[in-house]
Amino acid sequence: MNDQIQQITTNEWEIPRGFVPGMRVPGRFFLSKSLAETLEDGALTQLANVATLPGILRYSLGMPDIHWGYGFPIGGVGAFDADTGIISPGGVGFDINCGVRMITTPLTVSDIPDMKELVEDLFNAVPTGVGSKSPIRLSQKDLSSMLEDGAKNAVEMGYGMECDIPRCEENGAMDGAKPEHVSKKARQRGIPQCGTLGSGNHFLEVQVVDDIVDEATAKTFGVAKGQICVMIHCGSRGLGHQVCTDHLQILESASKKYGIDLPDRQLACAPLFSPEGEAYFGAMAASANYAWANRQIITHIVRELFVKKFRIAYEEMPLVYDVAHNVAKWEEHNVDGVRRNVCVHRKGATRAFGPGRAEVPHEFRASGQPVIIPGSMGTPSYILAGTDGAMEKTFGSTCHGSGRVKSRSSAKKSQTGEEVANALLRQGIIVRAPNQAAIAEEAPDVYKSSSEVVQTVHDAGISRIVARMRPLGVIKG
Amino acid sequence: MVFEELEHTADIRMKISAADLPSLFSESGFALAKILYGAYPVETPTDVFSIHAEGKDREELIVNFLSELLFLTETEYLVPQKFTLSVVDAVCGTVEGVLFDRKKHAGGTGVKGISYSGLSLTRTKTGYELIIIFDI
Repeated sequence: MNDQIQQITTNEWEIPRGFVPGMRVPGRFFLSKSLAETLEDGALTQLANVATLPGILRYSLGMPDIHWGYGFPIGGVGAFDADTGIISPGGVGFDINCGVRMITTPLTVSDIPDMKELVEDLFNAVPTGVGSKSPIRLSQKDLSSMLEDGAKNAVEMGYGMECDIPRCEENGAMDGAKPEHVSKKARQRGIPQCGTLGSGNHFLEVQVVDDIVDEATAKTFGVAKGQICVMIHCGSRGLGHQVCTDHLQILESASKKYGIDLPDRQLACAPLFSPEGEAYFGAMAASANYAWANRQIITHIVRELFVKKFRIAYEEMPLVYDVAHNVAKWEEHNVDGVRRNVCVHRKGATRAFGPGRAEVPHEFRASGQPVIIPGSMGTPSYILAGTDGAMEKTFGSTCHGSGRVKSRSSAKKSQTGEEVANALLRQGIIVRAPNQAAIAEEAPDVYKSSSEVVQTVHDAGISRIVARMRPLGVIKG
Repeated sequence: MVFEELEHTADIRMKISAADLPSLFSESGFALAKILYGAYPVETPTDVFSIHAEGKDREELIVNFLSELLFLTETEYLVPQKFTLSVVDAVCGTVEGVLFDRKKHAGGTGVKGISYSGLSLTRTKTGYELIIIFDI
């Protein structure tokens, strides 16, 4: 660990002001001793750079899956004051509302005699990878409704159930979406890609719940040992990417216009209530809503396939929860004893609201919200619950996954996709992707251990482990 | 090889060299296409699109050009085969290619955006060199 870094508790570290010039607050990050070895200097500098942004409150925060990203590090969280703060696409990322959701089923492992066939059927049913096309034809008007109403819009079109809506963060649609700030180009990219999984680290996984750590909370979440469930990880596709690209350009000029001194071009930003800042917020919220609709449509495709294949009822596959990873949102938080409305940027981080928050569905209000943490391909995923500790320390945030440690190029050099797929098969995991390279690039050892990341957030008190899921079948985008 | 992949943990970082700016932009276009589609066969183009991008400086010009190309690949399902470009204050020209075919072009991964992170476009003794990160 860099010798300027101070250890606060076992898993909590501080980057003091002065680490880079102009830091307004210190940086704080959460890493276990062994994860500390994975910390890149680039990520540390990025975390410190975020601390220089106007209006940042308390700390620039890093979760245990921290790694080098664009602008903010991945795993970065920053809350900004309403009057003096900024909004930055670098604190949200290209894939706006990349997120993850999980549905449970009434099935157990013995109900699925041929996992290979199921994986193949899912791969054929859910459009996956570069060049895939939407299963639905959206008109411009349909797209506008989707940008306004998110998951609710998808349910109204017949993709899901009413009860899915409250099981999404923000009820699957952020307030303040302004489709008029989503460019024609973004819309052109969005129309043919709605209901597609995408590529890279996006996936669809068939899992089995193999360990329950907190029986009572698991019951509240509707999760039981031995149950088959499906996890979906994807985002706002080309539409969100284009919104990021378009607004980065606008905000780059805006940073200069408002005299914001940036340590890094990627932190281009504007005051929250400037015309440029509000335009980005509106377009980002609209993209986030598109992403919720996207995950909702994919969920519907999966449910329909399970209904047909296993003769179970659609209603027997409830959504446990849907969380966003890349987003900036207005939230009320206690800041030094005062309740304030602040803009929280989460870039590769998950909201982890503790008990009692009104934003969380009624049934989860005593336990804290469900937090879904996907593992890398072949490693376990987890359900956690949000905690008071997260409210106190991290503006109600926790990790979002395991965090990359190895580049894609070195991953491809060390193992072929076929070798990785065969090794997983020996562990009883079937992997399907449009190409073998996609498998090699996402091999389990290119990520930090999901178990260790999750244990770190648990030990740091910023969420608590409820259950563990083991992968059985993986569709990689 | 005129482009090579450099180390980067999360994304794809490339070094691209060429004798002049139009070649540098074309090679960057092929670098993007290789990420998207893997190594794909050379074929006679069947489709042609015009491409145009502007920028306040060369860095912004290359980012905007590649963003424009990414847009064409996603909305027109274009797999580039040939670029004819003029690069002065703006870049304009055509990109010829074939349409995406899963059997030939499924070897790659999606690109979310073209990054300004660590971006450099410099003159060298033999021409130009670009270092660029594709966010994937």
